[in-house]
Amino acid sequence: MIEPISPFSDPLALWLSAWLLFPFLAAFLAALRADLGKGLILLSCLGTAAVAGGCLPGDRATELSLLGELGVSLLVDRLAGWFLLLNALLFAAVVLEGWDRPQFQARPMLLLVLQGGLSVSFVATDLISWYVTLELVGVAAFLLVVLPQRDATLWVSLRYLLVSNTAMNLYLIGAGLIYVQQESFRLSALDGLPFGAPQVFLLIGLFTKAGVFVAGLWLPRTHSEAPAEISALLSGVVVTGGVVPLLRLAATDAVLFSAIRWVGMASAVLGVVYALNTGDAKRLLAWSTLSQMGLVVLSPLSGGAMALGHGLAKGALFLSARQFPTRDLKEWRSQALTAVPLAVVWLASLSIAGLPPLAGFAAKKQLDGALPGSWSSMVMLVSVGTVAVYARLWTVELERKPLPPRQAEPLLPRLLAFGLLLLPLGVGAELIAPTGSLAPTLLSTGLVFGAGLLLHRLLQPLRPLPLPMLERLDQLLGGAVMLGAGLLAAFTGGFA
Amino acid sequence: MTSIRLLELLLLMAALAGFLGLLLRRNLFLKVLAMDVLGSSVVGLFVLFSARSGLRSPILQLPGRAAAFADPVPQGVILTAIVIGLSIQALLLVVVTQLAQMDPSLDTDSFDQRTTE
Repeated sequence: MIEPISPFSDPLALWLSAWLLFPFLAAFLAALRADLGKGLILLSCLGTAAVAGGCLPGDRATELSLLGELGVSLLVDRLAGWFLLLNALLFAAVVLEGWDRPQFQARPMLLLVLQGGLSVSFVATDLISWYVTLELVGVAAFLLVVLPQRDATLWVSLRYLLVSNTAMNLYLIGAGLIYVQQESFRLSALDGLPFGAPQVFLLIGLFTKAGVFVAGLWLPRTHSEAPAEISALLSGVVVTGGVVPLLRLAATDAVLFSAIRWVGMASAVLGVVYALNTGDAKRLLAWSTLSQMGLVVLSPLSGGAMALGHGLAKGALFLSARQFPTRDLKEWRSQALTAVPLAVVWLASLSIAGLPPLAGFAAKKQLDGALPGSWSSMVMLVSVGTVAVYARLWTVELERKPLPPRQAEPLLPRLLAFGLLLLPLGVGAELIAPTGSLAPTLLSTGLVFGAGLLLHRLLQPLRPLPLPMLERLDQLLGGAVMLGAGLLAAFTGGFA
Repeated sequence: MTSIRLLELLLLMAALAGFLGLLLRRNLFLKVLAMDVLGSSVVGLFVLFSARSGLRSPILQLPGRAAAFADPVPQGVILTAIVIGLSIQALLLVVVTQLAQMDPSLDTDSFDQRTTE
C-alpha cells in the first residue's frame, strides 16, 4: 500500500500538482498571446516527459491526495507512465511538424487543454475525475475537428460529440448506482462488487471513448475526415484517454476483466476485417486504430507498451498522410512517394505489424506473455490480418524525381518531428524489455508475416467484399447500448 | 423508501425516453433535444441519490441539533455534469444551425449519405 502525499506537505506532490495545472494556465496565456502557444506546448511536453521518465523505470508509484478524505486522489504509476510518455512525444512531434506551416490547423490553446485533460485522465483513479476529464478531452477534440469548417467535418464532429456525450451520460448513471451501494466514487469502491448494471453502464461510456468494438464505430470516419495533424493526435493519444480507465478497472475485478477482454478481442477482429476491405488509405489507418485499441485493452500488464508502440507509429502514419499521393488505395500501386514519407510509412507500419526489433514487436511479445495460451493464438490471427492490412500501403514506390520547389517544405522541423516518433520505435524495444527466449518468437513472427502477405494476395481480387455498413448515426448509438445489453446478459448469468 | 424507489424508476424511465428519442427521431434538432432529456434525467437521478439520507441542505447548524441532511457529495459532483451538459448542448446547437444551411430538413440520413465514401 502506498502512503498518499498531499501538496501542502510534500515538495514532490507540489511539483506534480504544478505539472498538472501548467497546461491549463498555459492555455489561458496561449489564448491571449497565440505566438507563445507552440513554445508553451513544448514546455508542457517536456514536463510530461519528465514525469513519465520518473515513473517508468522500476515500479515506483506516487499517490497524490488532494483535499483529504473526500477529495481527489491521483496515482502516478508505471501504467500512467507509458501513456504520459506517449502524450508528451506525440504532442511535441505534431507541434514541431507544423512549426512553420502556415495552414497549421490546430489551435495551441485547444492543444494545451487536450494535453492537460489527457494527463489528468491517465493519473486519475476515481469515476468522477474520469468523467470530467474525458468530457473535457471530448469537447477539445470536437473543437479541433470542427474549426477547420469543411462540410464533411461538421457532420462527423457533431456525430462524435453526440455519441460520446450520450455514452458519458450512461456512464454517469453507472457511477451514481455505484455510489448508492458503496458511498464512494473511488476505484476501490468497485472491489468485490458483483458484476451488474452499474459496471455495464461504466463500460459503455469507456468503450465509446476508447473506440473499442461497436461502441467505437464513430472512430473510423471521424479520424479519417479530420486534418492530418489532428487525426494523428486523435488516433495516437486521444483514444487512450478512455483506455487507461479500462485498464485500471480491469485490474480490480476478474469478471470485469474478462468482459473487457472479450470485447477487446472482438474489436481487434472487427477492425482488421473492415480495414482489409476499405478503399481509402486514411480510413484504413482509422479502422486499424479500432483494432489495435482492442489489443491494448486485453491486459493491463502489456497495455501501456502496446499503446505507446501503436500511438507513435499511428501518429507518424497520419502525419505523413498529408503527403499521400492519393487516398484511393486502388490507384496506390501506380503512385510514388518521396523519401521521407516513404520511410515513415514503412517503418511505422512495420512496427504496428510487429517486425523485430521495432517497439511494436516487443510490445506484442509482452502481450503474448501476459495472455493465456488460447488467447495468444487469437492474437496471432489478428496479427496476420494486421500484416495483410498494412501490406496494402507497401505497394507504393519511391519518387525519384525531385519535387518542384513550390512543394518542397522546410525539412528540419519535419525530421525532428518524425525523429521523435520513430526513434522510440527503434530503441523502445529495450524499454519494454521482453522476457523469454527469442528464437520461437522470431519463427512465429516469420509465419505471421508470410501468412499475412498470402492473405493480402488472396484478398486482392475479391475487394470490396459486401460487408454491412455500420456507421450510420443510429447504428453508432444503438451499437453502444446493444453491446451493454449483451455484456449484461453474458456476464451476470454465471457464464464467466 | 418506496417513494424513493418510485421516483428512481420514473427518472430511469425518463432517461430511457431520452435515449429512445435519440435513436428513433430522424430530425437532428430533436435528437439533440432528446440528448438533453437524457442528461437532465441523469442530473435528477443524482439529486435523488443525495436525498436518500435526508432532505435538509447540508449546512452545519447549531451544535447538538442533528438533522437528516442530504448527502452533499453527489450534489457537488453533478454540478460539474450540469455545466458540461449545457456547454455540449450549446456547441451541438451551433453545429446544427450550420448544418441547417446544407439541408434545412435536418434529416440525419441525408447527412450520413452525403459523407459516405
